[in-house]
Amino acid sequence: MMNQNNRNLVSRTLVYLFLLLIAFVSLYPIYFSFITSFKTVQEYTLSKTALPEAWVMDNYAYVFRNLNFLSYLMNSVFLVFGGMIVYLFVCNAAGFALGMLRFRFKLSIFSFILFFQIFPQMVIAAQVYRICSRIGLMNSHFGLILVWVAYFAPFGTYIMSTYYATMPRSLIESARIDGAGVFRQLFKIMMPMAAPMVGTVSIVGSLAMWTELPFSLLLIQDPGKRPLSLGIAIMKGEHGIPIPILTAAILVSALIPLVAYFFFQKNIHMGSTAGAVKG
Amino acid sequence: MSKKRLMKQQEERDAFILLAPLLLLMLVFTVYPVLANFFYSMTKWKGFGAAEWVGFQNYARMFQDVKFWHSLKNLGVLILYIPAGVFIPLLIAAILRDGLKGWTFFRSVIYLPTILGYVILGTLFSIILSQTGPMVEVLSFLGVQDANTINLLGKSRSAIHTVAVIFVIFSKMGFGCIYFLSAMSGIDSGMYDAAGIDGAGWWQKFFHITVPSISFSIQFFLVLSFIEVFARMYSFIYTLTYGGPGFATFTLEFGIYRQGFQAFKMGYASSWAVVLFFFCSLIAAAQIQVLKKGDQLS
Repeated sequence: MMNQNNRNLVSRTLVYLFLLLIAFVSLYPIYFSFITSFKTVQEYTLSKTALPEAWVMDNYAYVFRNLNFLSYLMNSVFLVFGGMIVYLFVCNAAGFALGMLRFRFKLSIFSFILFFQIFPQMVIAAQVYRICSRIGLMNSHFGLILVWVAYFAPFGTYIMSTYYATMPRSLIESARIDGAGVFRQLFKIMMPMAAPMVGTVSIVGSLAMWTELPFSLLLIQDPGKRPLSLGIAIMKGEHGIPIPILTAAILVSALIPLVAYFFFQKNIHMGSTAGAVKG
Repeated sequence: MSKKRLMKQQEERDAFILLAPLLLLMLVFTVYPVLANFFYSMTKWKGFGAAEWVGFQNYARMFQDVKFWHSLKNLGVLILYIPAGVFIPLLIAAILRDGLKGWTFFRSVIYLPTILGYVILGTLFSIILSQTGPMVEVLSFLGVQDANTINLLGKSRSAIHTVAVIFVIFSKMGFGCIYFLSAMSGIDSGMYDAAGIDGAGWWQKFFHITVPSISFSIQFFLVLSFIEVFARMYSFIYTLTYGGPGFATFTLEFGIYRQGFQAFKMGYASSWAVVLFFFCSLIAAAQIQVLKKGDQLS
C-alpha cells in the first residue's frame, strides 16, 4: 500500500513538472518581451535575462512617436472591425444555408468550399495582386478586407454550418408561415440563437485578421495604411533596430488580443464537431 | 402538392441568395487565382506587365533547381515532427482532463502563443535563439562552453529542425490542447469508472478509452497539421529565418515568395505553386474524407 502511494506521489510530481515546463515555455516569449521592453539598449546589451533597473517607458514613447505605431494600431482596429462585419455576415449566411436548408448540389458546393480554403496565400498571391491592381484595390483597406474575408470565411462558414445543422428546422418553417424573408430569418432568428458559436467564430476570425501578414504585405504599400503585423514584420527586417524597441512594438501589437483573451477565454468553447480553429 | 414544390423552390432560391456572397468572393479571390496560376506557370512573367508563353520551360528548370528539392526535403523533415505535434497536446489534454489542481491555469497559459500569432512568435524566437540572445546567456551561466557557437537557427544543419520544433510542436500546442479537451468533454465518464474497477491504469485508459473516443478529432487535427506545414507557414518563416541561412529553411510556400515577389520571376514561382497546389489537393481530399467519415458532411 505504502509502495502504491509513493508511486502516486512520484508520478504526480512528474506530471506537475511536465506541465510547469510547458507553461514556462508558453509564457517565456511574453515575459521576455515584457522585461526587455522596459530596458535601455545598454542594459539589454549587458544582460538579456535580468530585470530592468529603472523600468523606463522610452521604448514605448519611441514606438508611438517615431515609428508610426499609433497609425498602425488604428489601421488594424479599423481593418479587423470592418473585416469582422463582412466576415460574420458571409459566414452566417452561408453557414445557415449549408447547415440547415435543403437544396441541390449541396454536398458538391460544400466540398468545393472546403477544397479551395486550403491553398496557401502564396499560391494565389500573384493573381490576387494582379486582380487588385487591375480593379483599383491596391493600397485599399476595403480591398484587403474583401481578400481577407474571401480567404478566411470558408473556415468560419464550416464551423457555423456544424452549429446550424444541430438547430431544429421547425424554426424556419414557422418563420416562413409568418412571412419572414430569408434575411429576417437569418438576422432575427438564426444568428441570435447561434450566439455562442458566433462568439467562437468571432474570436477565430478576428485573430486570423489581426495577425495576418502575406496579403497585407503585398497589397498595402503605402506606409500610412499598414496594419500592426505588417509594421512588426517590416521592423524585424530592418537592420539595427534595437531589440528593446522591437519588443515594445510587439507588446503594443499583442496587447488588444491578449486583453480580449483574458476577458473572453471562457467563450472559446469548441464543440468537438466544430472543426478546428485556424484561419 | 404544388404548394410543397413551391416551398422547395423557395428554399433553393433562399440557399442561393445566402451562399452568393461567399461564392462570389471565393470565385474572384481564390478560385480564379488558383486556376490562372496554371496558365502563368507556362509563361515568363515578372508579376506585372506582359506574360510571354514558354511552355514547360519553368518546370524543366524547377526540376533542376536545388532550392526546389531542398524545399521538398524540408517539408519532409517538418512532416516527421507532426506525430509529436499531435501526441503532445493530446497527452496534455488528457492530463488536464483529470482535473488536477490548477488545471484551468495551465489551459489558459498554454493557449497564449496562439494568441500572439506567427509574426510575433517568429520574431521573438529569432531574438531568443540568436547568438546574442537570452538563450546563450542562460547556457553560459549553466557552464556551457562557447554557447554562442551553438546558433541553432544560423546553421543549415540544425535550422530546419529548430523551425520544426517551434512551429510543428510548440506553436500549435495550445490550440491542440483546447481542441482535444473540448472533444474529451463529450466522453462518458462512466467508461473510465468501469475501466478503473477492472484495474486499468492511466495509460491503458488513455489508449483504450480516450484516444478511440475522439478519433475523429485526432484525425481532423492531423490533417490540420499538414495544412499548417504546407500552407500556413509563410509568416513564421518570414520573421524567424527568412528562408535562411542560404536556403536552408525554404519551403515551397516561402520559395514562391522569394522567387516571385523578391526576384520577380513570377512565372517560374508559379510552377512551384502548381506543385504546391497538388500537395494541397491531396490534403484537401483527405480532409473531406475525414469529415465524411465523421459524418460532418451531409
